[in-house]
Amino acid sequence: MQNELKLNFDKIISLNNFSDSQKKIKQENFNNYFEKGLPNKRNEDWKFSDINQIISKNFDNLNFIVDQKKFFEEKDFPLDFEHNKISFVDGKLYDFDFKHEDKDKILVDQNLDLDDTIYQNTLLNLNSAFLTSVSKITIKKGYNVKKPLILFNYLSDGLKSSAINSRVDINLEDESSLCLVNFLNENSEKNFINFRQKIKIGENSILKNYNLDSYTSENIKYFNKDINLSKNSHLEYFILSEGSKFIKQDINCNLDDEYGSIALNGIINLENEKHHEIKTVINHKKENCKSYQLIKSVLNDKSKGIYQGKIFVSPEAQKTDGYQLSRALLLNESVEFNAKPELEIYADDVKCSHGSTSGNIDENSIFYLMSRGLSYSESKKLLTNGFLNEVIEKISNEDVKRLVKKLSGINV
Amino acid sequence: MLSIENLKAKIDEKEILKGLNLNIKPGEVHAIMGPNGSGKSTLSNILSGKKGYEINGKVTFDGENLLELETEERAHKGIFLAFQYPMEIPGVNTNTFLKTSINAIKKARGEKELDAIEFLKLIKEKSAELKFDEKILNRQLNVGFSGGEKKKNEILQMSILNPKLSILDETDSGLDIDALRIVSEGVNSLRNKNNSFLIITHYQRLLDYIKPDFVHVLKNGQIIKSGDFELAKELEKVGYEDFN
Repeated sequence: MQNELKLNFDKIISLNNFSDSQKKIKQENFNNYFEKGLPNKRNEDWKFSDINQIISKNFDNLNFIVDQKKFFEEKDFPLDFEHNKISFVDGKLYDFDFKHEDKDKILVDQNLDLDDTIYQNTLLNLNSAFLTSVSKITIKKGYNVKKPLILFNYLSDGLKSSAINSRVDINLEDESSLCLVNFLNENSEKNFINFRQKIKIGENSILKNYNLDSYTSENIKYFNKDINLSKNSHLEYFILSEGSKFIKQDINCNLDDEYGSIALNGIINLENEKHHEIKTVINHKKENCKSYQLIKSVLNDKSKGIYQGKIFVSPEAQKTDGYQLSRALLLNESVEFNAKPELEIYADDVKCSHGSTSGNIDENSIFYLMSRGLSYSESKKLLTNGFLNEVIEKISNEDVKRLVKKLSGINV
Repeated sequence: MLSIENLKAKIDEKEILKGLNLNIKPGEVHAIMGPNGSGKSTLSNILSGKKGYEINGKVTFDGENLLELETEERAHKGIFLAFQYPMEIPGVNTNTFLKTSINAIKKARGEKELDAIEFLKLIKEKSAELKFDEKILNRQLNVGFSGGEKKKNEILQMSILNPKLSILDETDSGLDIDALRIVSEGVNSLRNKNNSFLIITHYQRLLDYIKPDFVHVLKNGQIIKSGDFELAKELEKVGYEDFN
């Protein structure tokens, strides 16, 4: 695959009109990738999800040049509420509609301003090397976006064995707010999707970000996210992880200034041979910040779920509250769940905790429900749905909560 | 209605019921009293189909071999167990659960399922009868309920499902006097010529309100004596230890 990849890269460079500095950044990222290859399980961060093996198992060959064909069907998504939207096709900005908003308060743009960092994570090298544009969304200072913004990701009809690289940068200026839904339900089978989002939340601003992967697909996905929180800003983050064959969501949150807070909750709900990972790093850099994480998993058939969560507290970050909890229900013997909680604390006046439980469904609870007329499978379903519903109930946007209940079928 | 002949039950090689006989006819209220470890809860578990017991003997319900039926089939046929320790079911709204339960039973019986409005009407009516705070029904099932609220919730379920045979497994334990009265009223309001009750208890107290037709003493896995309500009074005086 390597030679092919090099040809693909050269082609990307020759087909596009990149500036010299862009070419340089791309080349360096590409070189780093070319030298090291995809991450594998020898890398601690990829211990439970050997993406190198997963890619080679699923694809004979990956095509990195994707021509935007624009032939795609808008799916009939169950959206019964007013919303704004931005559509991406094959990772590139296609269309947007902010009919509910003040037009001059939201900017949507696309360019190719790449960071000059050469990443250590070779998937990010790959992303930088093959990107042809970065989409940028800015919410102007003091503006509260009225309706949820949904980011739809479409793929061209018939696209397969392709690597899609996409990057969206979102900037919430000070005193603004946004409800952002990442709709990770592509209309395709079997592609490798490498998403990256970089978000900055300004002072006194609020971002609610819901990330929904719910439609069954053969796609292999990596979703990398960097979120920086300014002073007194708040992030509500939610993950529904159940659709793709493989997805790893790699979320790095930086509490860059005082009084920032994060509530990060997620569900991993798997069947068949799906393999999903959520990995979080919460970086407490300054005083008086709070972070709460709750991840619940239900695993069935031969599925595999992973939660790696790290809370880092720097010496300056006194009065930190940092909590995380992982709970998993393992419905049979052939599933696998790995939890790796980590606390790294360099300040002395902090409240931090982590907890992880995994176990079977409680047979006494099943008996209780069956004695009320429910069959074994109905009882099991009600118990697992209730278990997961506790996380869904934490969603503060009622429209999105209803959407999540519809998509997941969890309604108890 | 219910006939138990020479019922023996073992769990983990330990024999708990050692040949129990009991007949309950429609409309009758039977109380089983006995000390800790006599097999009272085992009996109620076996009647409602809990797994894990090695069972011998014959149990029929309306002429049908009860032991061959799954737990939910027994519920469909009209057996209800009010649990000694009702399970907490996190994340499941109590109302949603009640509706799922009653409609599962109606469906199995080939009856029309209740729609949202019919269900709410039924719930309102029954909650009022049992002086049950409806607000509690919007909370997660039994989660954070007090001991009394859990037991009252069991009685509410019983009254909604209107079973032929209700088994109350130490429903009186941990109840204050007011709750005890509400539970008793719940039972008494369901009493009619078709509905039967099997009330398992340690104490006479609940029976003062319910006035059972028959009282049985269970000791060492067998019913050692049967009688009327007077037997309960005698037991209370003598104690289980010396009762023979």
